[in-house]
Amino acid sequence: MTKFARALLFASAGLLALGNAAEAGTVRVTIAEYSKGTGPYFEAAAKAFEAANPGTKIQIEVVPWDNLQQKLTTDISAGANSDLSIIGTRWLLDYVRQGVVAPLDSYVTPEFKGRFIETFLTPSVLDGKVYGLPIAASARAVYYNKDVFAKAGYDTLPATWAEFKTAAEKIKASGSGVFPFGLQGKEIETDVYYYYGLWSEGGEIIKDGKSGLDSPAAIEAAKLYKSFIDGGLTQPGVTSYNREDVQNLFKQGKVATVITAPFLSGQIKKEAPNLNYGVAAIPAGPSGDHGTYGVTDSIVLFANSKVKDEAWKFLDFLFTTDQRVAFDKVEGFLPVNAEEAKNPLFADNADLKVFASLLPKARFAPVIPGWEDIAQTTSNAIQKIYLGQGEIEPTLKEAAAKVNATLSKN
Amino acid sequence: MNRLALPYLLILPSFVLAAAIILWPVGEIVTLAVHDVNRFGMLRGFIGFDNFRELFADPDFFAALWRTLVWTAAVVLGTLVVSTPIALILNEDFYGRSLARVLIMLPWAISLTMTAIVWRWALNGESGMLNSGLRGLGLMNENIQWLAQASTAFPMQILIGILVSIPFTVTIFLGGLSSVPEDLYDAAAIEGAGRWTQFRLITLPLLRPFINIAFVLNTIYVFNSFPIIWATTQGGPANSTDILVTYLYKLGFRLGKLGEASAVSLIMFAILLVFTLIYVRLTMREEAA
Repeated sequence: MTKFARALLFASAGLLALGNAAEAGTVRVTIAEYSKGTGPYFEAAAKAFEAANPGTKIQIEVVPWDNLQQKLTTDISAGANSDLSIIGTRWLLDYVRQGVVAPLDSYVTPEFKGRFIETFLTPSVLDGKVYGLPIAASARAVYYNKDVFAKAGYDTLPATWAEFKTAAEKIKASGSGVFPFGLQGKEIETDVYYYYGLWSEGGEIIKDGKSGLDSPAAIEAAKLYKSFIDGGLTQPGVTSYNREDVQNLFKQGKVATVITAPFLSGQIKKEAPNLNYGVAAIPAGPSGDHGTYGVTDSIVLFANSKVKDEAWKFLDFLFTTDQRVAFDKVEGFLPVNAEEAKNPLFADNADLKVFASLLPKARFAPVIPGWEDIAQTTSNAIQKIYLGQGEIEPTLKEAAAKVNATLSKN
Repeated sequence: MNRLALPYLLILPSFVLAAAIILWPVGEIVTLAVHDVNRFGMLRGFIGFDNFRELFADPDFFAALWRTLVWTAAVVLGTLVVSTPIALILNEDFYGRSLARVLIMLPWAISLTMTAIVWRWALNGESGMLNSGLRGLGLMNENIQWLAQASTAFPMQILIGILVSIPFTVTIFLGGLSSVPEDLYDAAAIEGAGRWTQFRLITLPLLRPFINIAFVLNTIYVFNSFPIIWATTQGGPANSTDILVTYLYKLGFRLGKLGEASAVSLIMFAILLVFTLIYVRLTMREEAA
């Protein structure tokens, strides 16, 4: 028995030693898989970096987006997390509050800061400290099927919701079987799809620390979307369509519009090259308000990393103009780097130009703890309204009360 | 060696193994459930039963609990009812039986998640196989949005649950049927018993222990089954198809409430434990009788 125990001890000590040996000079990086090209891009970047920095090894771990939060949670609780990781910027506050990520200010020089377009760096700055760098950025706009709108007598997407609805009714009346408004009602970002309407009506998700879900704007927005559903102007059964499903309907020509991120352009080019589409701003509300959703993902440095200097060097390398161009070209994200934005690849791209022009009005997810909780409450309420299982006003009021409870708890 | 101690000594190794695999994690979960825990599993102070109190204040929890019971009962009973005739047919000697057996077992070889994802596509309202199949047969004119509301999504999920449980259950039944001696049927036939009487008086009683096993194992699997519901609806819309496991997953990994999630898993553990105890009690009494 004791012999066995000793053998076991030796074996585990050996394993530990092995683990330590691999750690020295090795920077582990957790990467969210945005597309098939993500892994290969980072592998190539790591190779290039290693060639220029002998002695440092970069180890890339690619994780599907849907599992990222779960993987990080379990890794961090076990103390087995990587040195660098991509996270949704909306999670950053929770991470900072728990002391899990390290501030980068001791590394960030004014020159480095100057590389970024400020709008994109700001969400990763908390209490005046830089806690993450925007590795991916996107905004949202309407993709519309030009042929379908042309048949209804429109050259471009109408600029207001009222006109858009008139156009939608004309499209429906033409009997082509195309559903005018592609509406997402399932899974992640169901709430965001509703916020587009909320912002157009002049509302806010959170105002003065209180939920904006019971505001007149929120109610108007819900009524607007519900009128599209009830009028048969959306695809039927919206609560069974997540964002990818609606995008697929758009590619198949079954819905005439979808509100989504720039990466759809690349998908259309590959999967539906003959689709004649345009990109336009989300329609405005009666007072001319309109908003788009700005999203960044940040790459963060964990506080327990033992190779912070090496990790920073790799970050510095990733945010050079050449690397950014290569990455955003693969993924179809918006340039976050001012120098990069001047590259003809982005400057001459008609679709991206529309997205870039919307940035001044972009809203980012509010920096509050418990954001996922609020997102789920909102999604649930809005699904009930879409399904007709709840009256609009009471359902939203109830959700607002729940959101306020979450806000006051944290 | 003391004769009394020997049996205990002999089961000690397997007990230690079971304890390491079962008792230690349960202990960890109990710790999490009575503490204020942050998103990353760090304990921030003892709070007693606050996590449970929080759960019991949530109507979604009770809805999920009730739905879990419906889900388990429907899938397990449905599976037993469907599997019995399939096993009986496959037990008959007919041309192509081996092929038929392979076909029935085939779904078992595919991972549950993959089956569920294929069904998600099949149930898609606009481009799903099920709608186009039903339309092709002329059974309906309008597409049904199967996953859009719980009233159609949940029954479909139960049907998928039954479908994927069949191979396992049929296998158990076939094993049971092969142990039924053929001459019992011959004797019964001579006495003038029809096929239904033979089934009721010979097959069913002799199959009883196998039905019991299938019942218990399926109950445990189905009660804890995550992939079907997660892949098709993620418990939505508006939590209306959540069962306890999907509710727990959202609570733990989406919302970062590991304490409450641990409380849910303890409750699930307790339910299964009670169920198993009742079952053991019942079978023991039966054996004694």
